[in-house]
Amino acid sequence: MDLQYSEQDREFRAKARAWLSANVPAEARPAHGHASATFDRDWQRKLYDHGWAGVSWPKEFGGLGLSGLQQVLWYEELARARAPHYINTTYVAMMHAGPTLIARGTDEQKAFHLPRILSGESLWCQGFSEPNAGSDLASLKTRGVVDGDDIVVTGAKMWTTDAQHGDYQELLIRTDPDSQRHKGLTWVICDMKTPGIDIKPIRTMLGDEHINTVFYDEVRIPIANVVGEIGQGWSTALATLSFERGLGFIGDQLELYERVGRAVDLAGKLRFDDGTLAIDDSAIAQKLASLKSDAMAIRAMTLADIAETDRTGQPGPKGSMMKLLVTNTHKALSEVVGEMMGWDFLEFNGDRSAHPWTYDFLWSWIFSISGGTNEIQRENIADRVLSLPRAR
Amino acid sequence: MYLVPDDEELAIASAAAEYLADAMPIDRLHAANPADLKDDVRNALGDMGWYALALPEADGGSGLSAIEHALFFREVGRQCGPVEVMAQCLAAMTVADADLRAQITSGAVGVSLAIVDGDSLRLLGSPAARYALQVTRNEACLLDLQGAQVSAKSSLDLALSMAVVPAGCPVVATRAGDHVWMMGQLATAAQLVGISEASLEQIVEYAKVRETFGKKIGSWQAVRHPCADMAVRLEAARSQLWYAATAIKEGSLDAGVHLDAAKHQANVAALANTDSNIQLHGGIGVTDEHHAHLYMKHSLVLAKLFGGRREILARLLHAELED
Repeated sequence: MDLQYSEQDREFRAKARAWLSANVPAEARPAHGHASATFDRDWQRKLYDHGWAGVSWPKEFGGLGLSGLQQVLWYEELARARAPHYINTTYVAMMHAGPTLIARGTDEQKAFHLPRILSGESLWCQGFSEPNAGSDLASLKTRGVVDGDDIVVTGAKMWTTDAQHGDYQELLIRTDPDSQRHKGLTWVICDMKTPGIDIKPIRTMLGDEHINTVFYDEVRIPIANVVGEIGQGWSTALATLSFERGLGFIGDQLELYERVGRAVDLAGKLRFDDGTLAIDDSAIAQKLASLKSDAMAIRAMTLADIAETDRTGQPGPKGSMMKLLVTNTHKALSEVVGEMMGWDFLEFNGDRSAHPWTYDFLWSWIFSISGGTNEIQRENIADRVLSLPRAR
Repeated sequence: MYLVPDDEELAIASAAAEYLADAMPIDRLHAANPADLKDDVRNALGDMGWYALALPEADGGSGLSAIEHALFFREVGRQCGPVEVMAQCLAAMTVADADLRAQITSGAVGVSLAIVDGDSLRLLGSPAARYALQVTRNEACLLDLQGAQVSAKSSLDLALSMAVVPAGCPVVATRAGDHVWMMGQLATAAQLVGISEASLEQIVEYAKVRETFGKKIGSWQAVRHPCADMAVRLEAARSQLWYAATAIKEGSLDAGVHLDAAKHQANVAALANTDSNIQLHGGIGVTDEHHAHLYMKHSLVLAKLFGGRREILARLLHAELED
């Protein structure tokens, strides 16, 4: 075992730190709507123009082709610089759609979409989940009927983050009406401007409208937009999800330590009504210190997993374990901060930059449900890490 | 950067696992008078060189690093090994006199562990030990117990004897600095990780064979999900243990901070995993013949050694890390 960074790693970190300190936007990201998407596109464009877009993408497709360890350094520097968060309206394009097209797309699909994704020109959304399906992705019903050169899609998708900003969608549909479960599915690129698409926002408990139900009424999608093969969509979808479960949350894993540090700083300033400084309250001090050790352990786990993946070329089975730990730690941290902030914590207008801790507290539930609920992660661990008898 | 044991490190771990499963299997704790390191086992471990694993070659040791030390003690933990194995190792690091050091590394004399307890010292380990090792963050001292007034106490942990002795035993060797403390903290964290692993493996094996309501219990989410949580706690503790061991080996300035985090993670994982192991076994989990309670009782002792919860959290709160 060793903790050594190579000379190239150190140089990369220094270069990233210098560039970020000069280029991170001073203004906060707008909380909602069109302005937030514009902010994200602009930041992505800036990364692209300066050669920082696509840290995990291969060089031949315009990415940086970084090793896992250098990606760690990049996300650590993003967190340190308080750069715009990478889980924004570009997330699905950068972390799902791009990698899926690289792995399974045709040359034409790659040539058209990859540069647009990298430069922030195209935003994507995900169309996997459906009403009444929840975590049971394979029970989806939205149907696609082949008609000439098109597939005609009718049905509905649910929980679609940023559908209102998406230029394209990774859409999973059932193209064989007699098929069951994960057979007979197809993964297609859906242009969100196609006639017949109707987007209805779902207001969340954060008070915002970033998730949506998307209805499809005889939406015609060219067969040329199929990624993988017709009927083989499940395999393509699993590839998409594997990107999310591999390094998809790496930034959150590494950012946690910074967040605990901010909470400790805050505890050194806040006083309770009786004049006690929050940090002098032993229950709060102990919880914060314990969360700091959790954040350190999550980082150690991330580094071990990435080192192993860099060496073997195969992602380890630890993605579910890390997501579960990160979401639980994230939530626990918000709760401690909530306790020490008192009434101020209960003031909230939906603006992340105005009320960051309250926003993150509410967000912690979205985090522990989206991308696979905590319960689904536990099922994955029971199956894949512990090889327990199957529940289903 | 590579934070998983490599092939050579794994070979040492597997040699240790094989040897210890034979020399001090956890089954011994179900026999009569199971506590402590018996003379023959102490000598046998000495003959094999296990006490001198991380001792420099110039001092008669194998010259291996904190990583092998951690890998070895993880295996000691899996068997709820006697606490003297650690005392013996750490005493060898404390003593400068070559003759006395050789007596310790060979297992010719026994060493127990001494902890300050009010005005007295609490001794953990065999009442027949000639010496006791007392370790703080600044200094390690080897005390001579010959002629000391030792009062035996009862012990919850079947793997060790407890006694108290008035303070003021003669000091026969000291070593200044925090090296012995760090190696002790690492060894303790590693043993707790070993116990966390053994507890998880035990319940997973059981969940694959035991049936209730017509199904294997491992297919019920009421069992699967707590097992998954055990695996996650273990993975966090184990990852941080490897990080800390590597930081010590490489002389990182913040190695002590990583070690504190490793000990805390190991404390939490062992206490929670031994608890879940008992609970998920149902009735059989509370029987004397089962291993589950042995792991739990031994964890309670190890969690207090080399940094209990309050002490570690107080230090961690404002600790700083390097890049």
